[in-house]
Amino acid sequence: MTLQTLPARYRIAWRAAETHDTVTLALEPVDQPIGTHLPGQFTMLYAFGIGEVPISISGLAGRCLVQTIRSVGAVTRALCEADPGQLVGVRGPFGTHWGVADAAGRELVIVAGGIGLAPLRGALLAALAARERYRRIVVLIGARSPHELVFAEEVAAWRAAGADVLVTVDRASAGWTGHVGVVTQLIDRAGIDPGAALALICGPEVMMRLTARELCAHGVAPGNIRLSLERNMRCGIAECGHCQLGPLLLCRDGPVVSYTQVAPLLTVREL
Amino acid sequence: MNRAETADLAAHAFLRGMPADHVALLSATAAPVSLPAGHRLFEEGGRAANCWLLTAGQVALDLPVPGRANLIVETLGSGDVIGFSWLSPPHQWQFGAQALGPASAFELDGPAVQALCDAHPELGYQLAMRMLAAAVRRLQATRIRLLDLYAPPGGRGDAE
Repeated sequence: MTLQTLPARYRIAWRAAETHDTVTLALEPVDQPIGTHLPGQFTMLYAFGIGEVPISISGLAGRCLVQTIRSVGAVTRALCEADPGQLVGVRGPFGTHWGVADAAGRELVIVAGGIGLAPLRGALLAALAARERYRRIVVLIGARSPHELVFAEEVAAWRAAGADVLVTVDRASAGWTGHVGVVTQLIDRAGIDPGAALALICGPEVMMRLTARELCAHGVAPGNIRLSLERNMRCGIAECGHCQLGPLLLCRDGPVVSYTQVAPLLTVREL
Repeated sequence: MNRAETADLAAHAFLRGMPADHVALLSATAAPVSLPAGHRLFEEGGRAANCWLLTAGQVALDLPVPGRANLIVETLGSGDVIGFSWLSPPHQWQFGAQALGPASAFELDGPAVQALCDAHPELGYQLAMRMLAAAVRRLQATRIRLLDLYAPPGGRGDAE
Protein backbone atom coordinates (compact mmCIF):
# COMPACT_ATOMS: atom_id res chain seq x y z
CA MET A 1 0.00 0.00 0.00
CA THR A 2 1.22 3.50 -0.78
CA LEU A 3 0.23 6.85 0.63
CA GLN A 4 -1.93 7.21 -2.47
CA THR A 5 -4.36 4.63 -1.06
CA LEU A 6 -3.45 4.44 2.62
CA PRO A 7 -3.89 7.57 4.73
CA ALA A 8 -0.84 8.91 6.53
CA ARG A 9 -1.42 10.17 10.03
CA TYR A 10 -1.05 13.92 10.47
CA ARG A 11 -1.54 15.92 13.64
CA ILE A 12 -3.26 19.29 13.62
CA ALA A 13 -0.48 21.69 14.64
CA TRP A 14 -2.63 24.79 14.59
CA ARG A 15 -6.03 25.95 13.50
CA ALA A 16 -7.06 29.42 12.29
CA ALA A 17 -10.66 30.48 11.73
CA GLU A 18 -10.86 32.32 8.40
CA THR A 19 -14.61 33.08 8.43
CA HIS A 20 -17.67 31.84 10.29
CA ASP A 21 -17.63 28.59 8.30
CA THR A 22 -14.07 28.26 7.01
CA VAL A 23 -10.98 27.11 8.87
CA THR A 24 -7.32 26.73 7.94
CA LEU A 25 -5.51 23.75 9.43
CA ALA A 26 -1.75 23.19 9.58
CA LEU A 27 -1.11 19.45 9.47
CA GLU A 28 2.15 18.01 10.77
CA PRO A 29 3.21 14.51 9.69
CA VAL A 30 3.26 11.91 12.46
CA ASP A 31 4.74 9.13 10.34
CA GLN A 32 6.04 9.12 6.77
CA PRO A 33 4.76 12.34 5.13
CA ILE A 34 2.99 12.29 1.78
CA GLY A 35 5.05 13.18 -1.29
CA THR A 36 6.03 16.70 -2.33
CA HIS A 37 3.12 18.62 -3.74
CA LEU A 38 2.86 21.36 -6.34
CA PRO A 39 0.47 24.33 -6.00
CA GLY A 40 -2.98 23.39 -7.22
CA GLN A 41 -2.87 19.75 -6.15
CA PHE A 42 -5.16 18.33 -3.50
CA THR A 43 -5.22 15.69 -0.80
CA MET A 44 -7.95 13.42 0.51
CA LEU A 45 -8.40 14.40 4.15
CA TYR A 46 -9.84 11.73 6.42
CA ALA A 47 -11.76 12.60 9.56
CA PHE A 48 -11.35 9.25 11.30
CA GLY A 49 -14.61 7.37 11.61
CA ILE A 50 -16.54 9.92 9.57
CA GLY A 51 -15.21 10.08 6.05
CA GLU A 52 -12.86 11.52 3.47
CA VAL A 53 -13.04 14.73 1.43
CA PRO A 54 -10.83 16.30 -1.25
CA ILE A 55 -9.18 19.48 0.00
CA SER A 56 -6.75 21.69 -1.92
CA ILE A 57 -3.34 22.38 -0.47
CA SER A 58 -2.99 26.09 0.31
CA GLY A 59 0.74 25.98 1.03
CA LEU A 60 3.33 24.80 3.50
CA ALA A 61 4.24 26.13 6.94
CA GLY A 62 7.54 24.47 7.79
CA ARG A 63 6.81 20.73 7.66
CA CYS A 64 3.09 21.34 7.87
CA LEU A 65 0.59 21.09 5.06
CA VAL A 66 -1.74 24.09 5.13
CA GLN A 67 -5.28 23.26 4.07
CA THR A 68 -8.35 25.46 4.17
CA ILE A 69 -11.73 23.82 4.67
CA ARG A 70 -15.26 25.15 4.45
CA SER A 71 -17.83 23.43 6.61
CA VAL A 72 -20.49 22.19 4.19
CA GLY A 73 -21.25 18.67 5.44
CA ALA A 74 -20.49 15.98 7.98
CA VAL A 75 -16.82 15.42 7.11
CA THR A 76 -15.83 19.03 6.56
CA ARG A 77 -17.72 20.00 9.72
CA ALA A 78 -15.70 17.45 11.70
CA LEU A 79 -12.45 18.76 10.20
CA CYS A 80 -13.40 22.39 10.85
CA GLU A 81 -14.26 21.61 14.46
CA ALA A 82 -11.12 19.52 15.09
CA ASP A 83 -8.74 20.88 17.71
CA PRO A 84 -4.94 21.17 17.60
CA GLY A 85 -3.37 17.88 18.59
CA GLN A 86 -6.10 15.81 16.96
CA LEU A 87 -5.12 13.29 14.26
CA VAL A 88 -6.42 13.23 10.69
CA GLY A 89 -5.59 10.99 7.75
CA VAL A 90 -4.02 12.38 4.58
CA ARG A 91 -3.70 10.75 1.16
CA GLY A 92 -2.07 12.35 -1.85
CA PRO A 93 -0.98 14.65 -3.27
CA PHE A 94 -3.26 14.14 -6.23
CA GLY A 95 -4.02 15.73 -9.57
CA THR A 96 -2.60 18.37 -11.83
CA HIS A 97 -1.04 21.65 -10.70
CA TRP A 98 -1.23 25.28 -11.76
CA GLY A 99 2.09 25.30 -13.64
CA VAL A 100 2.99 28.69 -12.19
CA ALA A 101 6.43 28.64 -13.80
CA ASP A 102 4.77 28.86 -17.23
CA ALA A 103 4.06 32.52 -16.40
CA ALA A 104 7.78 33.35 -16.12
CA GLY A 105 8.49 36.56 -18.04
CA ARG A 106 4.76 37.19 -18.36
CA GLU A 107 1.86 38.55 -16.32
CA LEU A 108 0.50 36.08 -13.81
CA VAL A 109 -3.19 36.87 -13.30
CA ILE A 110 -4.86 35.11 -10.39
CA VAL A 111 -8.64 35.38 -10.08
CA ALA A 112 -10.26 33.92 -6.98
CA GLY A 113 -13.86 33.76 -5.84
CA GLY A 114 -14.75 32.94 -2.24
CA ILE A 115 -12.85 29.96 -0.88
CA GLY A 116 -11.37 29.54 -4.37
CA LEU A 117 -8.48 31.59 -3.06
CA ALA A 118 -7.31 28.57 -1.05
CA PRO A 119 -6.05 26.48 -4.00
CA LEU A 120 -4.51 29.63 -5.52
CA ARG A 121 -2.67 30.76 -2.40
CA GLY A 122 0.12 28.25 -2.96
CA ALA A 123 0.58 29.44 -6.55
CA LEU A 124 0.69 33.05 -5.43
CA LEU A 125 3.22 32.37 -2.68
CA ALA A 126 5.40 30.41 -5.13
CA ALA A 127 5.31 33.31 -7.59
CA LEU A 128 6.03 35.91 -4.91
CA ALA A 129 9.00 33.86 -3.72
CA ALA A 130 10.52 34.39 -7.18
CA ARG A 131 8.94 37.76 -7.89
CA GLU A 132 11.68 38.82 -10.31
CA ARG A 133 10.69 36.05 -12.73
CA TYR A 134 7.32 37.59 -13.44
CA ARG A 135 6.65 40.82 -15.26
CA ARG A 136 3.61 41.42 -13.10
CA ILE A 137 1.53 39.51 -10.58
CA VAL A 138 -2.13 40.52 -10.46
CA VAL A 139 -4.52 39.08 -7.89
CA LEU A 140 -8.26 39.71 -8.23
CA ILE A 141 -10.37 38.50 -5.33
CA GLY A 142 -14.14 38.38 -5.05
CA ALA A 143 -16.05 37.54 -1.89
CA ARG A 144 -19.61 37.65 -0.69
CA SER A 145 -18.87 40.22 2.01
CA PRO A 146 -15.83 41.65 3.81
CA HIS A 147 -16.40 39.15 6.64
CA GLU A 148 -16.21 36.23 4.23
CA LEU A 149 -12.80 37.01 2.77
CA VAL A 150 -10.32 34.20 3.39
CA PHE A 151 -6.64 35.01 4.07
CA ALA A 152 -7.70 38.63 4.56
CA GLU A 153 -4.79 39.24 6.92
CA GLU A 154 -2.27 38.20 4.26
CA VAL A 155 -3.35 40.67 1.59
CA ALA A 156 -1.10 43.48 2.85
CA ALA A 157 1.91 41.15 2.81
CA TRP A 158 1.13 40.05 -0.75
CA ARG A 159 0.99 43.69 -1.83
CA ALA A 160 4.26 44.42 -0.04
CA ALA A 161 5.85 41.47 -1.82
CA GLY A 162 4.96 42.91 -5.22
CA ALA A 163 1.49 41.73 -6.15
CA ASP A 164 -1.23 44.08 -7.41
CA VAL A 165 -4.17 42.92 -5.34
CA LEU A 166 -7.74 44.13 -5.95
CA VAL A 167 -10.54 42.92 -3.74
CA THR A 168 -14.25 43.28 -4.35
CA VAL A 169 -17.30 42.16 -2.40
CA ASP A 170 -20.88 41.53 -3.47
CA ARG A 171 -22.26 43.19 -0.35
CA ALA A 172 -20.38 45.89 1.49
CA SER A 173 -20.65 46.37 5.22
CA ALA A 174 -19.99 49.49 7.26
CA GLY A 175 -16.37 50.54 7.08
CA TRP A 176 -15.60 48.74 3.82
CA THR A 177 -13.69 51.08 1.53
CA GLY A 178 -12.81 48.65 -1.26
CA HIS A 179 -14.63 47.73 -4.43
CA VAL A 180 -18.25 46.60 -4.49
CA GLY A 181 -19.25 44.51 -7.49
CA VAL A 182 -18.47 41.20 -9.15
CA VAL A 183 -14.92 39.96 -9.59
CA THR A 184 -15.19 40.06 -13.38
CA GLN A 185 -15.47 43.87 -13.18
CA LEU A 186 -11.99 43.99 -11.64
CA ILE A 187 -10.51 42.75 -14.92
CA ASP A 188 -11.23 46.21 -16.39
CA ARG A 189 -9.58 47.91 -13.43
CA ALA A 190 -6.49 45.72 -13.36
CA GLY A 191 -5.19 46.87 -16.74
CA ILE A 192 -3.73 43.52 -17.67
CA ASP A 193 -1.75 42.93 -20.85
CA PRO A 194 -3.87 40.24 -22.54
CA GLY A 195 -1.09 39.09 -24.82
CA ALA A 196 1.22 38.45 -21.90
CA ALA A 197 -1.22 37.06 -19.37
CA LEU A 198 -1.46 33.58 -17.94
CA ALA A 199 -4.65 33.48 -15.88
CA LEU A 200 -5.40 31.04 -13.08
CA ILE A 201 -9.01 30.99 -11.87
CA CYS A 202 -10.66 29.25 -8.96
CA GLY A 203 -14.09 29.74 -7.42
CA PRO A 204 -17.65 28.62 -7.98
CA GLU A 205 -17.93 27.07 -11.42
CA VAL A 206 -20.27 29.75 -12.78
CA MET A 207 -17.87 32.44 -11.57
CA MET A 208 -14.97 30.68 -13.33
CA ARG A 209 -16.93 30.37 -16.56
CA LEU A 210 -17.90 34.05 -16.54
CA THR A 211 -14.39 35.13 -15.60
CA ALA A 212 -12.83 33.06 -18.36
CA ARG A 213 -15.31 34.54 -20.83
CA GLU A 214 -14.50 38.08 -19.66
CA LEU A 215 -10.76 37.44 -19.94
CA CYS A 216 -11.28 36.16 -23.49
CA ALA A 217 -13.31 39.31 -24.26
CA HIS A 218 -10.29 41.30 -23.08
CA GLY A 219 -8.06 39.41 -25.51
CA VAL A 220 -6.57 36.66 -23.35
CA ALA A 221 -6.25 33.46 -25.39
CA PRO A 222 -8.31 30.54 -24.01
CA GLY A 223 -5.13 28.47 -23.94
CA ASN A 224 -3.69 30.93 -21.42
CA ILE A 225 -6.53 30.44 -18.97
CA ARG A 226 -6.52 27.63 -16.41
CA LEU A 227 -9.32 26.67 -14.03
CA SER A 228 -9.51 24.42 -11.00
CA LEU A 229 -12.55 22.18 -11.25
CA GLU A 230 -14.16 20.15 -8.53
CA ARG A 231 -16.30 17.08 -8.76
CA ASN A 232 -16.97 14.28 -6.33
CA MET A 233 -13.38 13.08 -5.90
CA ARG A 234 -13.25 9.79 -3.97
CA CYS A 235 -10.35 7.48 -4.79
CA GLY A 236 -7.91 10.13 -6.01
CA ILE A 237 -6.26 7.69 -8.40
CA ALA A 238 -8.70 7.61 -11.32
CA GLU A 239 -10.14 4.22 -10.46
CA CYS A 240 -13.64 4.85 -9.15
CA GLY A 241 -15.00 7.28 -11.74
CA HIS A 242 -16.91 9.47 -9.28
CA CYS A 243 -15.17 12.61 -10.51
CA GLN A 244 -15.80 12.08 -14.20
CA LEU A 245 -16.44 15.16 -16.32
CA GLY A 246 -16.98 13.99 -19.88
CA PRO A 247 -13.69 12.45 -21.00
CA LEU A 248 -11.87 13.64 -17.87
CA LEU A 249 -11.38 12.06 -14.48
CA LEU A 250 -10.72 15.20 -12.50
CA CYS A 251 -8.76 13.56 -9.68
CA ARG A 252 -6.14 12.66 -12.27
CA ASP A 253 -6.73 14.97 -15.26
CA GLY A 254 -7.63 17.89 -12.99
CA PRO A 255 -8.32 19.70 -10.81
CA VAL A 256 -6.31 22.22 -12.85
CA VAL A 257 -7.39 22.15 -16.49
CA SER A 258 -7.02 24.40 -19.48
CA TYR A 259 -10.05 26.48 -20.39
CA THR A 260 -9.57 25.31 -23.99
CA GLN A 261 -9.99 21.74 -22.81
CA VAL A 262 -13.09 22.23 -20.67
CA ALA A 263 -14.98 25.22 -22.11
CA PRO A 264 -17.31 22.99 -24.17
CA LEU A 265 -18.00 20.81 -21.12
CA LEU A 266 -18.95 23.57 -18.70
CA THR A 267 -22.34 24.28 -20.22
CA VAL A 268 -23.44 20.70 -20.80
CA ARG A 269 -26.42 19.91 -18.62
CA GLU A 270 -26.17 16.71 -16.55
CA LEU A 271 -22.51 16.17 -17.40
CA MET B 1 -16.68 75.93 -16.53
CA ASN B 2 -13.38 74.93 -18.17
CA ARG B 3 -13.87 72.97 -21.35
CA ALA B 4 -12.32 69.54 -21.65
CA GLU B 5 -9.51 69.15 -24.13
CA THR B 6 -10.77 67.07 -27.05
CA ALA B 7 -7.73 64.79 -26.99
CA ASP B 8 -8.16 64.09 -23.26
CA LEU B 9 -11.82 63.33 -23.71
CA ALA B 10 -11.15 61.07 -26.71
CA ALA B 11 -8.74 59.01 -24.59
CA HIS B 12 -11.44 58.08 -22.08
CA ALA B 13 -12.45 54.43 -22.36
CA PHE B 14 -16.12 55.34 -22.73
CA LEU B 15 -15.48 57.44 -25.84
CA ARG B 16 -12.62 55.44 -27.34
CA GLY B 17 -13.13 55.00 -31.08
CA MET B 18 -15.70 57.78 -31.40
CA PRO B 19 -15.15 59.95 -34.51
CA ALA B 20 -12.99 62.98 -33.72
CA ASP B 21 -15.59 65.49 -34.87
CA HIS B 22 -18.13 64.02 -32.45
CA VAL B 23 -15.67 64.17 -29.55
CA ALA B 24 -14.90 67.76 -30.49
CA LEU B 25 -18.59 68.60 -30.28
CA LEU B 26 -18.91 66.82 -26.93
CA SER B 27 -15.90 68.60 -25.48
CA ALA B 28 -17.91 71.83 -25.52
CA THR B 29 -20.27 70.24 -22.98
CA ALA B 30 -17.63 68.60 -20.79
CA ALA B 31 -15.41 69.97 -18.06
CA PRO B 32 -12.59 68.27 -16.16
CA VAL B 33 -13.42 68.18 -12.46
CA SER B 34 -11.57 67.13 -9.33
CA LEU B 35 -13.60 65.26 -6.76
CA PRO B 36 -12.17 65.46 -3.25
CA ALA B 37 -12.53 62.43 -0.99
CA GLY B 38 -16.06 62.35 0.39
CA HIS B 39 -17.44 64.71 -2.26
CA ARG B 40 -21.04 63.84 -3.10
CA LEU B 41 -21.85 64.02 -6.78
CA PHE B 42 -25.58 63.64 -6.33
CA GLU B 43 -28.25 62.46 -3.92
CA GLU B 44 -31.15 60.04 -4.29
CA GLY B 45 -34.23 61.91 -5.46
CA GLY B 46 -32.29 64.88 -6.81
CA ARG B 47 -32.73 66.21 -10.33
CA ALA B 48 -30.53 64.23 -12.70
CA ALA B 49 -28.98 66.67 -15.14
CA ASN B 50 -25.36 65.60 -15.60
CA CYS B 51 -23.16 62.59 -16.00
CA TRP B 52 -19.51 61.94 -15.31
CA LEU B 53 -16.78 60.01 -17.09
CA LEU B 54 -14.46 58.92 -14.30
CA THR B 55 -10.75 59.29 -15.08
CA ALA B 56 -9.22 58.38 -11.70
CA GLY B 57 -10.23 57.23 -8.26
CA GLN B 58 -13.34 55.43 -7.07
CA VAL B 59 -16.93 56.55 -6.69
CA ALA B 60 -19.55 54.61 -4.74
CA LEU B 61 -23.21 54.48 -5.71
CA ASP B 62 -25.11 54.38 -2.46
CA LEU B 63 -28.49 54.42 -0.82
CA PRO B 64 -29.25 56.03 2.51
CA VAL B 65 -30.93 53.82 5.10
CA PRO B 66 -32.23 55.59 8.21
CA GLY B 67 -30.28 54.61 11.29
CA ARG B 68 -27.50 52.96 9.34
CA ALA B 69 -24.53 53.97 7.26
CA ASN B 70 -25.29 54.41 3.55
CA LEU B 71 -25.50 51.08 1.75
CA ILE B 72 -22.98 50.89 -1.07
CA VAL B 73 -24.65 49.41 -4.13
CA GLU B 74 -21.59 49.37 -6.40
CA THR B 75 -18.26 51.08 -6.84
CA LEU B 76 -17.14 52.57 -10.13
CA GLY B 77 -13.62 53.32 -11.26
CA SER B 78 -11.53 54.91 -13.97
CA GLY B 79 -13.09 54.37 -17.39
CA ASP B 80 -16.63 54.06 -16.04
CA VAL B 81 -19.57 56.34 -16.75
CA ILE B 82 -21.49 57.60 -13.73
CA GLY B 83 -25.15 58.48 -14.16
CA PHE B 84 -27.85 57.09 -16.42
CA SER B 85 -30.87 58.81 -14.89
CA TRP B 86 -30.29 62.11 -16.74
CA LEU B 87 -31.17 60.32 -19.99
CA SER B 88 -34.81 59.51 -19.37
CA PRO B 89 -37.81 60.77 -17.40
CA PRO B 90 -38.34 61.44 -14.56
CA HIS B 91 -34.72 62.67 -14.67
CA GLN B 92 -34.27 61.89 -11.02
CA TRP B 93 -31.34 60.14 -9.35
CA GLN B 94 -32.24 56.69 -8.01
CA PHE B 95 -29.07 56.43 -5.90
CA GLY B 96 -26.51 58.77 -4.43
CA ALA B 97 -22.85 58.93 -5.44
CA GLN B 98 -19.77 59.76 -3.39
CA ALA B 99 -16.04 59.88 -4.14
CA LEU B 100 -14.37 57.31 -1.89
CA GLY B 101 -11.01 59.04 -2.21
CA PRO B 102 -9.58 61.80 -4.37
CA ALA B 103 -11.00 61.26 -7.84
CA SER B 104 -11.27 63.07 -11.15
CA ALA B 105 -13.73 63.00 -14.00
CA PHE B 106 -15.16 64.79 -16.99
CA GLU B 107 -18.51 66.24 -16.05
CA LEU B 108 -20.95 66.39 -18.96
CA ASP B 109 -23.80 68.91 -19.01
CA GLY B 110 -26.80 66.66 -19.70
CA PRO B 111 -29.18 69.19 -21.36
CA ALA B 112 -26.33 70.46 -23.55
CA VAL B 113 -25.45 66.90 -24.56
CA GLN B 114 -29.08 66.16 -25.37
CA ALA B 115 -29.31 69.31 -27.49
CA LEU B 116 -26.16 68.21 -29.33
CA CYS B 117 -27.66 64.78 -29.94
CA ASP B 118 -30.86 66.33 -31.30
CA ALA B 119 -28.83 68.48 -33.67
CA HIS B 120 -26.41 65.67 -34.65
CA PRO B 121 -28.34 62.37 -34.72
CA GLU B 122 -25.24 60.39 -35.63
CA LEU B 123 -23.50 61.65 -32.49
CA GLY B 124 -26.68 60.82 -30.58
CA TYR B 125 -26.59 57.27 -31.93
CA GLN B 126 -22.92 56.84 -31.04
CA LEU B 127 -23.52 58.10 -27.53
CA ALA B 128 -26.71 56.08 -27.04
CA MET B 129 -24.95 52.87 -28.09
CA ARG B 130 -22.14 53.54 -25.63
CA MET B 131 -24.59 54.27 -22.82
CA LEU B 132 -26.49 51.11 -23.71
CA ALA B 133 -23.31 49.01 -23.67
CA ALA B 134 -22.37 50.42 -20.25
CA ALA B 135 -25.89 49.80 -18.93
CA VAL B 136 -25.88 46.22 -20.26
CA ARG B 137 -22.55 45.47 -18.57
CA ARG B 138 -23.86 46.95 -15.33
CA LEU B 139 -27.07 44.90 -15.64
CA GLN B 140 -25.16 41.68 -16.30
CA ALA B 141 -22.89 42.28 -13.31
CA THR B 142 -25.93 42.92 -11.14
CA ARG B 143 -27.53 39.69 -12.30
CA ILE B 144 -24.39 37.75 -11.43
CA ARG B 145 -24.44 39.25 -7.96
CA LEU B 146 -28.07 38.19 -7.59
CA LEU B 147 -26.94 34.59 -8.03
CA ASP B 148 -25.10 34.89 -4.70
CA LEU B 149 -22.41 32.57 -6.02
CA TYR B 150 -20.38 32.48 -2.83
CA ALA B 151 -23.28 31.49 -0.59
CA PRO B 152 -22.94 28.26 1.41
CA PRO B 153 -23.78 25.40 -0.95
CA GLY B 154 -27.12 24.25 0.46
CA GLY B 155 -27.28 20.49 0.60
CA ARG B 156 -23.94 19.98 -1.15
CA GLY B 157 -22.46 18.58 2.03
CA ASP B 158 -24.83 15.64 1.75
CA ALA B 159 -22.62 14.36 -1.03
CA GLU B 160 -19.61 14.05 1.25
